[in-house]
Formats: sequence, structure tokens, C-alpha cells
Amino acid sequence: MFNLNDLAHAASAHLEICLFYLTAFIMIPLAYGVLLDRNIIRAGFLLIGVFGGISALFLLLQAQFLAMAQLMIYAVGITLVVVIALMLTNPNLEYEKSVELPQQQLPAFLTSILVFLVLYMSVLSEAWPVRNELPSADNIKVLGTSLLTQYSLPFEFASILLLVALIGAVMLAKSDHFHPGEEILGNESISETEGNENVVKV
Amino acid sequence: MWSKSNSLVVAYFTVIVALTGCLVTGQLKPLFNGMQILPEFHQLGAVAIVMALGAAAHLLGADLPAIMITSCLSVLVAVTYDQDPLTRYLILSALLFSIGVYGMTTSRNAVRVLMSIELMLNAVNINLVAFARYVDPDMVRGQLFAIFILTVAAAEAAVGLAIVLSIYRNSATVDMEKFNLLKW
Repeated sequence: MFNLNDLAHAASAHLEICLFYLTAFIMIPLAYGVLLDRNIIRAGFLLIGVFGGISALFLLLQAQFLAMAQLMIYAVGITLVVVIALMLTNPNLEYEKSVELPQQQLPAFLTSILVFLVLYMSVLSEAWPVRNELPSADNIKVLGTSLLTQYSLPFEFASILLLVALIGAVMLAKSDHFHPGEEILGNESISETEGNENVVKV
Repeated sequence: MWSKSNSLVVAYFTVIVALTGCLVTGQLKPLFNGMQILPEFHQLGAVAIVMALGAAAHLLGADLPAIMITSCLSVLVAVTYDQDPLTRYLILSALLFSIGVYGMTTSRNAVRVLMSIELMLNAVNINLVAFARYVDPDMVRGQLFAIFILTVAAAEAAVGLAIVLSIYRNSATVDMEKFNLLKW
């Protein structure tokens, strides 16, 4: 006789496999679209699909908090920044003539194949200590506790990093008509030009 | 000329032959075991078959993106269909990572290079969360690392795009070919 519990477990495992392959089959073509689409604004929006697929994978992996954080930070925040940067650097929104650098295509292809093979072999040659119990339902609580006790120092450093990166990004992207050396040589150069004018007048 | 339907036919053919190839190499597994050559990696035969077929289709003139997408998907299926879930997630993330490597090295547009780097960071995040789920389900430490990677990725995206913007303001282009200001 079938044990109903086993049957339900097997069914849920099959459902997880099906959802995994569904997500992967949506995500990989979208990732290629990000790389190869000649309309780069569309590539930027395809990135939302990839990040959404990854957050679906996080949901399958019982990481609810990270799935929502992924949606909020990547699929909305970073993609928005990327699309704004695309619009600023590509004001006519034209199609690109060629997406890829032709002389680098074959070496890049070989490199990526090699990277994949190395990762594949290293994944398979290790016997991972897999434990098949589900994470507890309140793993957000565990996350928060360890983030504020054991990992509080990295947490603070991360906040400082974000602040510094924000200030640095604003400084870099600020559009000022500033020429290097102007504030140092400013007065001297003005006096020099005045002197020259005097010479010319004389 | 090859039309879109022709390349779709080639792509479909690639998938089918790859699946049969992985079945055949699965049948050949005892042979590899006997020969002590790569006993665990018998699916590499399927990868090789997929690559050869893709190269053949490319020589015949089929669409390169279609070949790449379908061979990627068939490699994923061929390599993960009989693995345990952790390995499946790890291989998917390896695939995404190598897609990101390809995009990072070939893209002409600097912003697209940044997008590929985001792709690679996300692949690493999948790894960490999969480990947190399957190896360390009590103290989900992998998720903590993923949170820190999320933070650093946000900072990296902001600074990287600001650098691209300031380069664009100086040289009026985002073409990676023309970023040779330091070269005399």
C-alpha cells in the first residue's frame, strides 16, 4: 500500500522539479536576450525577467525574505538605475549596429565553456552533506537574530559601504562644469590675463 | 538563406539529439566505470554532442542566438536530469555564471557589461541560497551571505553606472572599443 505521506512528499518533490525547470527555461533565454538584444533598452527590461526568475528560485529554496529583497532591490531598484543610465548614455535610443565585439566572440565562448566545465566538475566531485529537512518556518527570525548579534559588525560595515558608495556615485555622476586645476590656479590665471590685457593696452 | 523557421527546426533537432545523446551516454556509464575514465562525468558526452551539433548548425548557417539558447537548455537538462536538487541548483547557477562571463567579455556597450556582472552576482546568490536550504537549514547562513552580496551589488551598480556616465560625458560614447584613453 502507498503511504499517503510519502505520496504527498513525492508529489511535492516532482512539483518542485517541474517549477525549477520551468523557471530555468524562462530565465536562460531571457539572460541571452539581455546579452544579445540589439535594442539595449529592451535588454534592460529583460533583466527584470531574469531577476524575477531568480527570486522565484529563491521562493522554491524556502528563502522568502531574500525573494522579496531580490524583487525590491534588483528587479525594481537596480534595473531602474540601469535603464536610466541607458537612456542617459544612448539619447537617441537607436538600435546598436553590432552587440558583440566580433574578434572576441570565439575566445569568450571558449572561456565561458571552460568556466562552466570547471564549475560542473567541481560541483560533481564533491559529496555535499545534504540534509533533506525543510528550514524552519521562522527562518526570517533566525536571519534577523544572527544579523544583529553574530554578524552585527559586517552589517554596520555594509551600511557604511552603502553610504560611501552613494556619496561617491553622486560625486562621480554630478554634472558640473569643473575643469581640473581651476580653483587652484584661478586667481593667478585671472591676474595673468589682466596683466596681458594691460600689456596689450600699453 | 536560412529563415527563422529553419533555425527553429535546427534548434529543435539539437534538443532531441542532445536528449538521446544523454540517454546513450547514460547507457555507456558502465563502460566508463570499467575504463576508470571520468567515472562521474559521463554526461560530459552529452555536452560534447550538443556542442558539436551546435557547431554543425552554425556552419550550416543557422541563427547563432537560437543555437546558443537551445544548446544551453539541452545541456542543463542533460546534466541535471538525474542529479539531486542541490546539484541541480548549483549547475543552473554555473550556467548563468558562464552566460554572464560570455556577455562580460563580448559586449560592446559598457552598460551591458555591467548588466552581465549583475547576472554573475545573481548566479552566486543562487549558489549561496541553495547551500542554505540543503546543507544548513537551521542557521540559514548562506542567506546572510546572500544579503551582504545584495548590498555590495547595489553599491557596485551605483558606482559602476556613475563611472560609465562620467566616461560618457568625457568621450561621448559607451563603446568598449573606444575606451582607450590610457593608451598612447
